[in-house]
Amino acid sequence: MATERHVIEPITTSRQLRFLEEAQLDTLREATLDILENVGVRFDSEKALVIFAEHGANVDRSSQIVKLPRDLVLKAMANVPRRFTLGARDPDLDLPLKEGVTYFTNDGCGHNVVDFETGEQRASALADVAMMARINDYLPSMSFCWTMVSAQDCGATAPLYEMDAAWKNNTKHYQSVTMMGEKLCRYGVEMATALRGSLEEVKRRPPMSLICCTIAPLVQDKDALEGAMVLAEAGIPVVIMSMPTMGTTAPATFAGALALADAEVISGTVLMQLATPGARVFHCILHAWADPRTGGYVGYPLDARTRFAPVEIAHHWGMPSLGGACGTESAEVASWQAAAEVATDPLLVSMASAEIVTGLGLRATYTLLYPEAIILDSDLYNQARYSHLDMEISPETLAVDVSAKVGAGGHFLGEKHTRKYMRDALVRSNCQELDAAGQYRDPVEVAREKVRWILENHHPEPPAPEVQKELDRILAAADKELKG
Amino acid sequence: MSEKLFEALIQAVIDGEEEEAEALVRQALEQGVDPLACINEGLMKGIEEVGDLFSNGTYFLPELIQGAGAMKAALEILEPELVGKEQREVVGTVVLGTVAGDQHEIGKTLVGTMLTANGFKVIDIGVDQKADDFVAAIEESGANIVGASALLTTTLLELKRLIDSIAEAGLAEKVKVMIGGAPVTQDFAKEIGADGYADDAIAAVAVARKMVGAAA
Ligand code: B12
Repeated sequence: MATERHVIEPITTSRQLRFLEEAQLDTLREATLDILENVGVRFDSEKALVIFAEHGANVDRSSQIVKLPRDLVLKAMANVPRRFTLGARDPDLDLPLKEGVTYFTNDGCGHNVVDFETGEQRASALADVAMMARINDYLPSMSFCWTMVSAQDCGATAPLYEMDAAWKNNTKHYQSVTMMGEKLCRYGVEMATALRGSLEEVKRRPPMSLICCTIAPLVQDKDALEGAMVLAEAGIPVVIMSMPTMGTTAPATFAGALALADAEVISGTVLMQLATPGARVFHCILHAWADPRTGGYVGYPLDARTRFAPVEIAHHWGMPSLGGACGTESAEVASWQAAAEVATDPLLVSMASAEIVTGLGLRATYTLLYPEAIILDSDLYNQARYSHLDMEISPETLAVDVSAKVGAGGHFLGEKHTRKYMRDALVRSNCQELDAAGQYRDPVEVAREKVRWILENHHPEPPAPEVQKELDRILAAADKELKG
Repeated sequence: MSEKLFEALIQAVIDGEEEEAEALVRQALEQGVDPLACINEGLMKGIEEVGDLFSNGTYFLPELIQGAGAMKAALEILEPELVGKEQREVVGTVVLGTVAGDQHEIGKTLVGTMLTANGFKVIDIGVDQKADDFVAAIEESGANIVGASALLTTTLLELKRLIDSIAEAGLAEKVKVMIGGAPVTQDFAKEIGADGYADDAIAAVAVARKMVGAAA
């Protein structure tokens, strides 16, 4: 049914970039421990407070502030696994976390769409989730699949329908950005179990994972956390993500924002470990800046020094990391700004050794979808990927004999060696496609054609009918319970 | 004597010195200075100046927020003293909050600050607030405007619920509802029957002024 056996092409590199010195990482960690022990984090969840109290944290029931003694933190953190596998629907597309490999996904979760057919801007819907899951499935730049936009036509159970749409249209690992609350997440586990056949298999090759956002400054959301705990118990990986905004929800200094955000992530991770020792948790800090005049959220100022320091902070804790890339502020599909702001992201984040990275393809700071944007962003991705590929040096590639033959002056076009290698020596990007007259084409037009081609030709294998039947049954049960 | 005190109060607001402003109004009350005069001749002039400095680009948000903070702290001491006397003049009273299930704080807070700096009395009830909480705050304060923020597509419907609850409580004639937040649009506002919408804090002030019939 599928067009061809598709592959994923993660960025693989042995080159590493360090933004911070070991001593700086230690100092940051001390600040985190200081915040956890002396300032505390507010947990708006009775369930969480009980668990913390049982394990000897300093819990104030009335303020819901939890203060975590250093030893408790360090002991719990010793249980976080550094590496594991994110399972895909198709076993060939499983993602074993390993040194030097960075897996990317699309951005999420927008709420506006520039309709592919009409060009009009409108609210996002389930059909958009499905369409983008299919495009993601085709693209080798995409190693896994994020909820790209919200299914606004599905009400309270939208996060479950979004996952169902992803599975119908995508054979890679799915990471939900929207599933929240204990009830919804129980259905999520049930769906994962239906897909895999047993909870054991879910644990072994989790087909889904979850983004769980903290609320800067220093608050943990009841629904996000309680949902995450349900999934973690089922062996499903969770990303604890903090999005501190410098000046508004965090100190206006880099170090201050990172320490605060790290305290949020670590407090959530400790809870997961106390509830389910060995729970698989990714660390994530996506810091941003507030415009000092409007408070507007700015992800890409000129001075974004140490942009990927959070990846190192994660590794310093012995945790895998989710990095953020490509969240341009530009509302245009292909403006200079949209490309320039994020152009070095894929290169830098992979050299920082992030295990997984979001998010290609949205515009206007994660809110606006143009279906063709992900094709354009994939160019930036591939530019980074190719930069890291090895150059083969051998007698054959050195071709000294060929150079000797041509000698001084003349050209190589007549050589068999050239005939063999020239075709693949030049790889063009989407921005460099030529028309019949040899002129560069409009990259957006090229991207639109690709999108159209994928939608017409790429039809990944959906779940087996009996599995889908079970998924439908679970969705109906969820609707009945939660859509009241 | 009070002239000097008013000037110091103006300066405390301009400098965003909360403790200084509190100390000054306490001193004023001890000396028997009219609390309403402290407000009109001191705090209001100070916040006007802060507003001007912000508008002309000299001040950034921290200066604005801290100026409003100093004013608010001093007002909290002065207002109880006004009981039975002439009340301070406010452009309008706004109950402001982010709807149930939504934790996004900053946009709502900025709207509140801009309204405060422009002479509105703002009762900020915080994030994740149920429609009933808004209604209770309206009843308690006698507000004539409600400002509600929603940043998630899943909490947009809470805005509709809020409008319904206000109607059920028989308050529809008394308060105007103004809404905002990234996914909110003018069309959506119209669709759910909100009285106003603004896409940033400065526009929110204009909408609120219009709602209470104040000059733009
Ligand atoms: C910062 C942020 C957060 C922070 C908030 C921190 C805090 N303490 O406030 C954190 C990390 C906690 C967060 C959490 C979540 N977030 Co969030 N968040 C954002 C982000 C990046 C910026 C929001 C912001 O602060 N902007 C700056 C302020 C100044 O702008 P503003 O809020 O728009 O407000 C202005 C106007 O809208 C207007 N306005 C606002 N309110 C009002 C009210 C009135 C009355 C009026 C007149 C005007 C008005 O005036 C304001 C000033 O100019 C947006 C993306 C975006 N581009 O908007 C996502 C975004 C809103 N979040 C999103 C999501 C999904 C979430 C989470 C569900 C993530 C998760 N999986 O856990 C959680 C939900 C938590 C919850 N229950 O609410 C999505 C929503 C998508 C959707 N389809 O609904 C967005 C769009 C990002 C994305 N693409 O994923 N988030």
